[in-house]
Amino acid sequence: MKNIKYTFFFLALLLQFSGCDSFLDVNSNPNSPNSDNLPLSAKLPAALVSAVNQETQQINQIGAFWGGYWGTSNEGANQFFDLKTYNGPGIRSQRDGIPVWENGFNNILYFRLIQDEAELEGADFYSGVSKIMQGWLFLRLVDFYNNIPFDQAAQGNTYLNPAYESGEVVYQKSVDLITEGMADLKASTTSTAENSGDLLFAGNKTMWLKLANTVKLRALIRQSEKGDQSYISREIQKIQQEGSGYLGLEENALINPGYLNSAGKLNPVWENYYRTVDGKTTANHLNIRPTQYLLDKMNEKNDPRISSIYLSVEGDTFGVIFGNPDAGNPQYDAEATSAFKGPLENDNQATGIFHAYGQSSVLISSSESLFLQAEAAERGWISGDAGALYDLAIRASFKHYKTDLTALDSYLAQDEVDFGQAVNPIARIIEQKWLALNSVSSIEAWSDYRRLGFPDFPKTAATGVEGRPYRLMYPETERGTNLENVEMQGNDVITEAKVWWMP
Amino acid sequence: MKTIFTLLFSLLLFDLAFAQKIHVNGTVKDEYKRLALPGATIQVKGSATTAVSDADGKFRMYANVGDTLEVRFLGFRPQSFAALADEVEVDILLKEDFNDLAEIEVTGALGILRSSKEMGSSATVISTEKLNEGKTVNPIYGLTSKVAGLRINMYDSKVDPATQIVLRGNRSLQRTTGIDGRNPNEPIYVVDGNPMPNINRINPNDIESITVLKGANAAALYGSEGVNGAIMITTKSGKIGKGEVSISNTTTFSKPYLLPDAQTTYGQGNNGTYSPTTYESWGPAFDGSMKPFGLPLPDGTQPMVKYSAPESDNRLDLFQTGVNLQNDVSFSAGDEVSTYFLSAQYVDQEGIIPDDVNKRVNLRFNGSRKFGKLTTSYTLNYISNTKDITPDGPWISAYRYPANFPYDMVKDWENPNSPGNPKNYFIPNGSWLRNPYFLIDNIRNQSNEQIINGKVELNYQVNPWFDVMYRAGIYNISTEIRDYTNKYEAPGTRNTPGTVNDGSLFYRRLNSDLILNFKKSLGKWNNRLLLGQNIRTDDKKQSNVSASNLLYTDIINPGSRSGELGGGTTITEQRSMAVYGELSTGYNDLLFLTVTGRNEWTSVLAKENRSYFYPGVSASLILSDAIPAIRQMRRVSFAKLYSSWNKTGNVTLAPYQLNNAYSQSNGFPFGNSIGFLPGLVNPNQDIQPEFVTSYEVGMQVGLFNHKIYLETAYIYSDSDGQISNANVSRATGYNATLVNSGRMTNNILEASVTADLIRKEDFSLRLTANYTYTNNEVKELYGGADYRQNFRQSYAFVGEQFPILWVSDYKRDPNGNVVVDEATGDPIVATDNVKLGPMVPPHMFGLNIATGYKGFLLTAQFDARQGAWFYSETIPPMYEFGTHPITEAYGREAFVWPNSVIEVEPGVYAPNTDLTTSSGGKEFWARQGAVQSNTAAKADFLKLREMSLSYSVPQHFIDRQNFIKALNVGVVGTNLFIIRDSSNTIGDPEYLYNNTDGYYSFRQVPPMRTYGFTVNMKF
Repeated sequence: MKNIKYTFFFLALLLQFSGCDSFLDVNSNPNSPNSDNLPLSAKLPAALVSAVNQETQQINQIGAFWGGYWGTSNEGANQFFDLKTYNGPGIRSQRDGIPVWENGFNNILYFRLIQDEAELEGADFYSGVSKIMQGWLFLRLVDFYNNIPFDQAAQGNTYLNPAYESGEVVYQKSVDLITEGMADLKASTTSTAENSGDLLFAGNKTMWLKLANTVKLRALIRQSEKGDQSYISREIQKIQQEGSGYLGLEENALINPGYLNSAGKLNPVWENYYRTVDGKTTANHLNIRPTQYLLDKMNEKNDPRISSIYLSVEGDTFGVIFGNPDAGNPQYDAEATSAFKGPLENDNQATGIFHAYGQSSVLISSSESLFLQAEAAERGWISGDAGALYDLAIRASFKHYKTDLTALDSYLAQDEVDFGQAVNPIARIIEQKWLALNSVSSIEAWSDYRRLGFPDFPKTAATGVEGRPYRLMYPETERGTNLENVEMQGNDVITEAKVWWMP
Repeated sequence: MKTIFTLLFSLLLFDLAFAQKIHVNGTVKDEYKRLALPGATIQVKGSATTAVSDADGKFRMYANVGDTLEVRFLGFRPQSFAALADEVEVDILLKEDFNDLAEIEVTGALGILRSSKEMGSSATVISTEKLNEGKTVNPIYGLTSKVAGLRINMYDSKVDPATQIVLRGNRSLQRTTGIDGRNPNEPIYVVDGNPMPNINRINPNDIESITVLKGANAAALYGSEGVNGAIMITTKSGKIGKGEVSISNTTTFSKPYLLPDAQTTYGQGNNGTYSPTTYESWGPAFDGSMKPFGLPLPDGTQPMVKYSAPESDNRLDLFQTGVNLQNDVSFSAGDEVSTYFLSAQYVDQEGIIPDDVNKRVNLRFNGSRKFGKLTTSYTLNYISNTKDITPDGPWISAYRYPANFPYDMVKDWENPNSPGNPKNYFIPNGSWLRNPYFLIDNIRNQSNEQIINGKVELNYQVNPWFDVMYRAGIYNISTEIRDYTNKYEAPGTRNTPGTVNDGSLFYRRLNSDLILNFKKSLGKWNNRLLLGQNIRTDDKKQSNVSASNLLYTDIINPGSRSGELGGGTTITEQRSMAVYGELSTGYNDLLFLTVTGRNEWTSVLAKENRSYFYPGVSASLILSDAIPAIRQMRRVSFAKLYSSWNKTGNVTLAPYQLNNAYSQSNGFPFGNSIGFLPGLVNPNQDIQPEFVTSYEVGMQVGLFNHKIYLETAYIYSDSDGQISNANVSRATGYNATLVNSGRMTNNILEASVTADLIRKEDFSLRLTANYTYTNNEVKELYGGADYRQNFRQSYAFVGEQFPILWVSDYKRDPNGNVVVDEATGDPIVATDNVKLGPMVPPHMFGLNIATGYKGFLLTAQFDARQGAWFYSETIPPMYEFGTHPITEAYGREAFVWPNSVIEVEPGVYAPNTDLTTSSGGKEFWARQGAVQSNTAAKADFLKLREMSLSYSVPQHFIDRQNFIKALNVGVVGTNLFIIRDSSNTIGDPEYLYNNTDGYYSFRQVPPMRTYGFTVNMKF
């Protein structure tokens, strides 16, 4: 019996004193690395892909519906309901809304964390790249929400209720941030290794500088109708002085992390809008159709890109009416209208917006850059021949859609296309830009419409919907956490409140 | 000398060598009234010798010296006495068998039995009989509405439904917590002294009793999870005496009910035109003609359907009658030094959705043995549960399909010429809208759980005032899952790619307690001191491999795939240590005081924060003993006052939450190309334990000779500094941040009554009722926010109950009339959402009626809840797809919105008499379906939750043979009827989804009711 007594006490002692501290030290995560375990080169690629994914899917999709490109077949009449009815409260809802704000600031955070770490380590290349990308992202958010936080944004608990700044100020600060990033890039002395994680330009600083200048130019052009002209010319001058120029022909900003033929690892545009991993049509491919307006415009000009981008139905292309006012009319069935064409309908040759499951994601295309330059030249902001830039931009677009370049000259020669014959050269540039960025950077068409009032695509035909969308409303998540700041911004009704650069 | 001799006799109950026949004489009386009880049986235990008391309650019989004699009389508790000497007159005072709360022994913390007199907080004991009235498979269901303050929601009607358990209101803003992902408002489950993550799979028939300890006092002895109270389960142990074998069978049948209402006027089509290739009910009115259904089949035939709604709801065709079978066998025995209990259970359930099955095997071996001063006991429980179900798809499509959808016609989907074949199916849509029978056959979720749990307990009585107890417990679960979709090659969106996910989850909890227990009486003071030390470790490993592109039909293996193999492994470990103590003292058996304290160390907090202490104190006073005047009132037989105060620490973190973990997403890694993103919850190293302060005052009163027992308690709790993921402005870059913030209080009133209205020899009627009022209030949210989203439309608002249903609604005039647009006539959706009400019921009411007549026993359990709202996500698609009854109400024409007004100038409204809506078709109704107030309803209900009628074959029949000792047959039913609010056309208001009160998911299968029979036999 004594023994048992001793055993108890021994057990007690053992349990009590066998190192309470080490027993409890089991709280380091064996499953995932934390920031300290990871080099910047392991973080940058993920941030870039996250940003470009938002660009090519969420943002491009809004632009495609609101930029006159897309509608839906009868089968898709219930899809994209909020976009088709300009349902601001629906879009801002936390549940089924479109989280442009949320994703945008998350992406800014990813780059901000890289920037902070790079600045500590003196890794100028990474701080430069992350500043340029943050500039890009802030500008995008202003285009959607107008006033947004900038100085107090993406700093975690430091500013729990980030204060907003006016859209115009954020525009200027973003341009400055990009300028800073360019300076960092130039200061970067270390030759950037191939495994830098720079999925965009593989460490090519010149290309980054060109991209940065192009983004700045886009920001300046955006304020053509409302901005301070002296500010614009000062900034243009800075770009000229810097000297790297803009993205030119064949100079696309593309991101390709090495897409694989495996579910979730294909190019997301391909996987969402074309085919699943086993080659089956996706629901979006069945539901999304070009608007009849777009097809009419292309046909008017005998645009050869039409047959590169769209499938024909019994020898012709057929579109739909955005907003499905006549759902159920067999004329708008998926089978009766033109779907996107891809390699599977083109003898396995790349065509239109679909080239291959591993195709690169487009951040900004050479064509867009050339159109921006053409407009800047036409406005006299930069030197250069607007017409030549215009022709080059269309050429870049033909190349992107894999359209036979031999058809280019006759296309350009038409009265409706020839830059020289344009009554309103800016309108002509914008119209061709619209046709060139079709389903690639569709958001530009919506922004151009808001800025200039053309291209003149029709508004939604859904019944009972008034007005046109000017912006997105501040999201529910923001109203729930930063309401005071939201309310200080005043009216944010989707069809009423304008973004600062809108006339 | 003689007394010593008799004492010795009474102690030694086994046969003595010098056994001799003696005469036993006695009188049987009612202890209270002291009246003779005629007709009582007196039986020599273990033999057939029986006597019956005469009209004066007297009896005379033979027995051997040392025999135990048992006296039984219906309505009274049996009593035993020893036959000691010849011709001694014995007076037997039988106590009535009523619920004497004062005498009940409560399984207190650590499994120590204590008189309910001592308890300074309320506790409810549920016996095995009451628990098993409805013969439920999961013991949790058996507790529903039987305990004041305990809210149990059974939800989902798949074959193995889930439960949510909340004791004394919501205290936490979080939905899951800890390494086992438990609901932070759940009580701790303690089985035979060991805390367990869940008790869903325990065989209810193995349970001797369940004690619900409602106060936070349990936390001192079991750790932080006891902050919400404890559900203490004591499993059966063998009884001293001859071995007993018990077998039983319960067979019940389940049927769905309360399907959401659907219209039966219009069939498939668009804009009033029939379409054979659409599933939406926007076609023309049914006319009884034959219409083509889908496109012609490969053999050229055109499937035709009758274009009219069948007599009965066609959606019921999807379901089958579920069959649930429970077979039980148990064996128990014991002698003076050892006991054992052995049981086996086999449960076989077939669900209401075809092919859903769940099978459970449950084995238990409980035993104990004494070696002098050392008592050892052990329990071992093995459970195997195999489940094979289809996910929610079939029902999700069923309520979208038209009222004449021909379920029979599409059953034979494998036939290439069947309209149900995916290649021919009338709609090409993938996902949930595929043929329900195709989904049932090809999309399966399978799981196999193996649970081993048990304990070893050693108790050494060092001396009469000191004993040492050591208990080690294990809970071990390993789960193998396989979720797959069988490949079915078809063109375009008709295609079904093959996918498989093979996963395994291993979870182990080890719990060790060393307890020193001191007892010492000093004069009229009875003192007890308990000192304990606890160690707990939780280990979890979760792994899965998956493939999303299987190559071949029926070859479900990641090996036969193209593309990358998916999957990963997560290992989590959590440890805690604690020392604790409880000092209790009782004065003269009428005043009791208990002080508790516990210091806990947990691994999930930073080193400097991981130690925390929490104290508690409770007291009780037996008024009826303290104040003789009360005792002299004949009506009051017992009165007790009690009170307690606790401040309990709690850590709701899961391991590793203090650091931001980076992970690869968006397709990374692409081969050698890697990319890591940080998590979007901003972590916080400085998290501290959260504390809940609670107090309770209560009273128990026994009236009319214990015929009526009343118990009421008022409870206040205040939980502050809650560990939660506070939503933050996304402009901070993060989605949420981990904080100690948020405060919530609860004011709760509990009352229960037990009334033995009739207590006659062969007729009894007992009512047990309980009522709970819970008023909880959110006091503070992080960063001074006014509200916080909980889940979907469920929100926390400062100053209101939690959670609140906050939904979009129409613009209304001051009288609540809907304002329509003066141009279109369409109702205007208000800019701001409206709060409809709490999503948990403030009022809960339970009523149990048990009435016995001769061998018959009828029990009924009613459950009513009032004051809550819920909302359904089944309804919006029914608006959109034209199956909701509202879509036929106006003949699908433009109409004047009922009771609507027009805002003629700001704030001035005029009745709208003739302005019609823009249309009455799909686009219009889809928009109305998106207005969330249309999909919400009051969640009030009254349910007959359980009813049973059983018959025990009378003892005198049984006694004619030696084989069967007891035989009981009965019928049982659950959810036999429900009364609900007229606004509720949604379904069962009790349903919720994944710990989200008041949210009826779009995937939720309608509720079911069960009925069946049960047979019990003892040998």
